[in-house]
Amino acid sequence: MRLLELDIKNFGKFHNRSIEFQDGLQLVCGENEAGKSTLHTFIRAMLFGLERRRGRGAANDTFSRYEPWENGTYYAGGLRFECGGRQFWLQRNFDKYSKKALLVCETDGEELSVEEGDLDMLLDGLTETSYENTLYIGQLHAPAGQALAAELKNYAAGYYAAGDSSLNLAAALESLSAEKKTVDKEAKQVLLDKQKKRETVEQEAAYIWRELHHIDDKIEEVSEELEFRKQEEAQEQDKLENEWVKKRFTDVLRPAKWRVHPVEILVILGVIVLAFLLLPNPLNSFVTVVAALLGAIYTWNRMKIGRRGQGEAGIEELLEGIVPEEELASTDKLIWELEHLTEERKEKQVEYDNLQEQLQEQDELGGEYQKLDRRREALLLAAKRLEDASGSMQKDLTLRLNQRASEIIEAVTGGRYKKLAADEELHMGLLFQGRYAAVEQVSRGTLEQVYFALRMAAAEILYDEDFPVVLDDTFAFYDDVRLERTLRWLAGCGHQVILFSCQNREEEIMKRNGIRYAKTIL
Amino acid sequence: MIGLCEEEQTELLLIAGDLFHRQPLLRELKEVDYLFRTLTKTQVVLVAGNHDYIKKDSYYRTFTWSSNVHMILSRDISYVEIKELDTAVYGLSYYTKEMEEPLYEQIRLKDDRRFRILLAHGGDERHLPFRRTVVDKIGFDYAALGHIHKPQELIPDRMAYAGALEPTDKNDTGKHGFIKGTLDENGCSTVFVLSASREYIHMEVEVEEDMTGFGLRSLLEQEIRALGMQNMYKVTLKGFKDPEVQFDLNNMDTFGNVLEIVDDTRPAFDFLRLLAANRNNLLGKYIEGFGDAEPDSIEYEALCAGVQALLETKRG
Repeated sequence: MRLLELDIKNFGKFHNRSIEFQDGLQLVCGENEAGKSTLHTFIRAMLFGLERRRGRGAANDTFSRYEPWENGTYYAGGLRFECGGRQFWLQRNFDKYSKKALLVCETDGEELSVEEGDLDMLLDGLTETSYENTLYIGQLHAPAGQALAAELKNYAAGYYAAGDSSLNLAAALESLSAEKKTVDKEAKQVLLDKQKKRETVEQEAAYIWRELHHIDDKIEEVSEELEFRKQEEAQEQDKLENEWVKKRFTDVLRPAKWRVHPVEILVILGVIVLAFLLLPNPLNSFVTVVAALLGAIYTWNRMKIGRRGQGEAGIEELLEGIVPEEELASTDKLIWELEHLTEERKEKQVEYDNLQEQLQEQDELGGEYQKLDRRREALLLAAKRLEDASGSMQKDLTLRLNQRASEIIEAVTGGRYKKLAADEELHMGLLFQGRYAAVEQVSRGTLEQVYFALRMAAAEILYDEDFPVVLDDTFAFYDDVRLERTLRWLAGCGHQVILFSCQNREEEIMKRNGIRYAKTIL
Repeated sequence: MIGLCEEEQTELLLIAGDLFHRQPLLRELKEVDYLFRTLTKTQVVLVAGNHDYIKKDSYYRTFTWSSNVHMILSRDISYVEIKELDTAVYGLSYYTKEMEEPLYEQIRLKDDRRFRILLAHGGDERHLPFRRTVVDKIGFDYAALGHIHKPQELIPDRMAYAGALEPTDKNDTGKHGFIKGTLDENGCSTVFVLSASREYIHMEVEVEEDMTGFGLRSLLEQEIRALGMQNMYKVTLKGFKDPEVQFDLNNMDTFGNVLEIVDDTRPAFDFLRLLAANRNNLLGKYIEGFGDAEPDSIEYEALCAGVQALLETKRG
């Protein structure tokens, strides 16, 4: 890009002033207050527009500073420039009532639109800030490092890269991270669903487990009851056996049905009859009566035992009527119940085991989860590689920057400093006699030269288009030798160089050394 | 199946294991035995497979089958003889989930029946592996195989997996049914009979670059109509899709028979063209960083994801 003509209609102290620029070195001389600052502000305002600040800041902003001294509502100018082999005419009105910008390609007569970004396209991503950080080189007010460092970083991430100024690393990373979050959420949902299914089966298993224990309790109960009955039966048996032993001989002889055996009755009757017949009278009647009485008492006694036995049985029957049904149940029924319970228990046990098996199989994760997991891994990898790529680009850039800046500093210092090394934050060091010294340790003049080298290198790397370089009294701290070398370098660098100066030093050196230049006096 | 046996007055019904997926309950055995009992002509022979293997207190141990049902309970090779058919059926039952010895290859024939059939379960390396040629030389008239759900004929008319009667999960694709055969003096001849009421189909759908969500849904509808509405589908989307288009996969199941949709499409990026146009910027460097990632690798997926993120977040 070459600036061809400034047509200042009304801007600051200038009105209807036209300045033409040549290729190569362009010296703009002027004493203090001749309007050098106004001129380069005009160039900047033409390229990037001039916005009025709002509120209080408006009183001292650039807009107000260069508001024309006369005829304030007419605040305008034009710029003719060449870019990519074509010539353009750019015209702007800055005042708030008739604010507008006009861009025409003079080569083919096409009218372009500043609002729609045609100028931005010609400027190849150059913004006002980056212009101030690279192409406009004034005196060093503060170490310009940080803003330029940020600029370089942005560039490294691809912001102002060739062919595509719109890539956005941070937003891309953010988008990847957002998708990862969604995937994580989905994966969690899959796990939750699975857990839910598992819980259903577990619930069922727990239910059966409780049933199992219920059956166990019942089995125990029935077994105890059976055991008790068995013992009772055994006792009964013992008792019967004991009684058998105790029974009297007569009891053995006596049929169970009879309470008094007929033989006994016959014997008793026999004794009575014999006693009456054999014994002498009157003794016999006495003995007979006694024997009859004894016989009667015995018989009555026997009858009484029998009746008592019957009575007891009756009470037992009565008692059985009020004991619980279980006890009433026959032993056979209990045995059947036990068998049934054992079977039921086994059935439940099989069911329980089957459910446990099902649970084990469910532990394996399905394809859906694996797919999400894979997606997650891919997203992480993408983010990592994206950062790697940006990191390597940044390193690459720093390397290129250092190389180019070293070449420039070597040319400017006549080989005294051969290597300039800037890190990613643009902390700079100079290689001198085999070791690096931080730039803060070198003289003011050298420091200015270091920043000059860095800016020029950055401008070359950042922009494909050769933009004009504007130097504003940059060389005040340079000694004559280095100034001469710097001017030589500038003459050969291929950029259009617009050099503002309030001294004659530059012109004298260029004259003396036969460096070609064009001159404008303000 | 039982109804069919009765209708055709089939003589022998062979069940090659895994009649149940897990340990059978007593009531289930009773149910199935009741069904077998309704067969007037058919003899049933069955073994236990690796799923319903005979555990310590399996009901198989104690269950009394109807007289026409013969279960080979032995854990070593043994046989049951069916006098009416002059046939011996060899086999064994599983007592563990896995049996790695090649027991079927070691069979020696001991009976003197006219026909001999092997009823075998397994065949993969953990479930009684065997080589078909070795087993074939033993001298069986037919080997009825179970375990593998997919029906397949190992040796025509001599050895075959009947497969599951109905597919049991979404990976049991293909036709399902049973094998019907005739065994007589002329040897054995078998035929596979389709009987499953539906099948699981893994359907691959090629997505076109200009296809939208609605377009995809219509395509799926059309394909499913063509292949049968009674079937169940697992759909895999292949091909390239417009990177801008997002398919709503939860809204594609028009007929309620799509179990799963897997999206294996790749965004239709022309990486070579992208690389050529972005050689010096982040996008180009990023693409370069992946070299030639295999299209099925995680790297490739990451490549697509990153490129998509960069392109989607472009300014302006």
